[in-house]
Amino acid sequence: MKNHPIFFKLLLFFIFFVSLFSCVKDTDFEQAVPLALTPVLEVSLIQIEETPVSFLDSSGTEVLSISDEIVLELFSQNAVKDYLFKAELVFEITNSINKAFDVTLSFYDPSNTLQHTFSIAVDNSATNTPLITEHLEVFEASILDALKLSNKLNITIKLISNSTSSNLTAASEGIIALKSKAILYLNVSE
Amino acid sequence: MRWLLILGVFATLQAQNKQLLYGFKDVPQHILLNPGTQIDSKGYVGVPLLSQIHFNAGITGFSAFDLFADDGKDFSQKVSDIVYGMDAKDFFGINQQLDLFSAGFRLKTSSEKSIFISFGMYQESDFFFYFPKDYAVLAFEGNDTNLNRRFNLGDLSANAEVLSVFHIGINKKINPKLTLGLRGKIYSSIVQASSTNNTGSFTTVEGVGNSLKHIFDFDMNLQTSGLSFLENSSTTNEIDILKKRLLLGGNLGVGIDLGFTYEFAPEWTVDASIQDLGFINYSKDVKTYVLDNYFEYEGIQSLFPELVTGQTAQDYWDKVENDFDDLFEITNTTTSYTKWRPIKFNSSISYNFGRKTVKECNCLDKSDPTFQNRVGAHLFVMKRPNHFQWAFSAFYYRKLLKGLQLKATYTVDTYSFKNVGLGVSTALGPVQFYVMADNLLDYQNIAKSQSVSLQLGFNYIFKNNEN
Repeated sequence: MKNHPIFFKLLLFFIFFVSLFSCVKDTDFEQAVPLALTPVLEVSLIQIEETPVSFLDSSGTEVLSISDEIVLELFSQNAVKDYLFKAELVFEITNSINKAFDVTLSFYDPSNTLQHTFSIAVDNSATNTPLITEHLEVFEASILDALKLSNKLNITIKLISNSTSSNLTAASEGIIALKSKAILYLNVSE
Repeated sequence: MRWLLILGVFATLQAQNKQLLYGFKDVPQHILLNPGTQIDSKGYVGVPLLSQIHFNAGITGFSAFDLFADDGKDFSQKVSDIVYGMDAKDFFGINQQLDLFSAGFRLKTSSEKSIFISFGMYQESDFFFYFPKDYAVLAFEGNDTNLNRRFNLGDLSANAEVLSVFHIGINKKINPKLTLGLRGKIYSSIVQASSTNNTGSFTTVEGVGNSLKHIFDFDMNLQTSGLSFLENSSTTNEIDILKKRLLLGGNLGVGIDLGFTYEFAPEWTVDASIQDLGFINYSKDVKTYVLDNYFEYEGIQSLFPELVTGQTAQDYWDKVENDFDDLFEITNTTTSYTKWRPIKFNSSISYNFGRKTVKECNCLDKSDPTFQNRVGAHLFVMKRPNHFQWAFSAFYYRKLLKGLQLKATYTVDTYSFKNVGLGVSTALGPVQFYVMADNLLDYQNIAKSQSVSLQLGFNYIFKNNEN
């Protein structure tokens, strides 16, 4: 039993080794607060592929325009709306029809109030060779807010006549194709 | 999230490796690591709830200091550096064990060819989570700069379980050189959840009809058991349910531990053991969630209804919406399933030296005639869901005084080459106490440590008369 004081000393040394010699130095645990993720997502958006027949009525006569409306809730969903700080819509329109077009995209909110609109002018292709028109629409600040309020997108393709274009008939050649994607810049922070 | 990150301070890489306890003959609980170990005592009784308290938690790939160093660098940038420095083999794990009771006794007191029976019950919690690298890259970068990259959804692999284990083992000295041991175990799983063997991917490629094509290929599952009582039970009921499951009322399984020790020369010993060669069948309170769908998406096709068939882009969008609903539709079943326990392998070779010699015969001399020193090497391997976890240790054991033993280890594994551990066992009469900790070098600045583990316990030991 005479060794007990030695045991205790050794044990105490061991048990308190951590508290005596361990420490956390040169650290700042408060800096975790501003952690932010900034992913950039690319999302396939709208595609259009129309031949000249699409621009003729039942009697074979050119119409002024064609249009369609879709419910587009991508930008108004909370998960996107809360973190989206910039968006870009990228369009690539290929036209091989000998007719010029004006492609208009209009964003409406649930009460059908126009929030934002823009148009892309597409040249006619006199020789039916594909002509490519690119357009980048950037949404930031107030325009981005308008986008976030929108849940409907109207697409109108208006026929434009000019000196080198021809009237469309069922025999007209070519195609107008629209490809698009959205680039979403997100900032997800605590 | 910060809590998880701070937890990294107290991390250990070894998880369930107990290199200090393995072969530490003065601590009765070492028999749990090798049922075929050499046992010197007549018996022991562990102090209920205090005979083995073990906890460790660990993360590989970085230390808390990498993240929280007061170096003026942007915190998000540091997180980013860590994420890109890690891969899908890095992991985060917590393991905790608590002996509820334990005891052992020798059936024949003769030191030759005696049988030692040990039994007990312990509760264990294990949480293991691989770093989901591709998910992290997707969260950090998005798919913008990752066109054609196949994000591997199989990177999600996690397992969590709380269980109790009742065990009884037999240890027999076959001859002066060879000792064999076998331990039978009954597992009672209290709660379990695992999502492993996931496959599938998310890829964005150049489209045909549109700029991009997104390919969703999901084949994922989450198996759970014992969780539903959390949803529809009162607190009193929950405690009753947990008590019942703790006492073999959960999902049951069986397993064995095997081990041997061979003393091929008085100075030389080799030993090895396999733990948890067994399985649990989950049939009670089971829910399995499965996400197994495939979908390619190129965007919304506008159809201009006035002039064509009357179908609108909205119709097309409705179809796309339905396709997405189907894509993320999760089915659930209550089919039972079986899982293997994480098998572990330990082996060591050791050299004993420094036997105490007595110059004159003295029958009343109570000094310890055994070797006072031991050096050796120890290998630990454990099966994890996606890989084998390993550790290699060199150790030195020393009987410092009668009733006071020390063991020091130096451990290397895939990630750390400077893990020094120290274990102490001491006895005040028949009451024995032990405490063990590793990664002592990192205690100078614990934030730089990826590994700290601690275990301690109290036992009442019946010593052999000759001891």
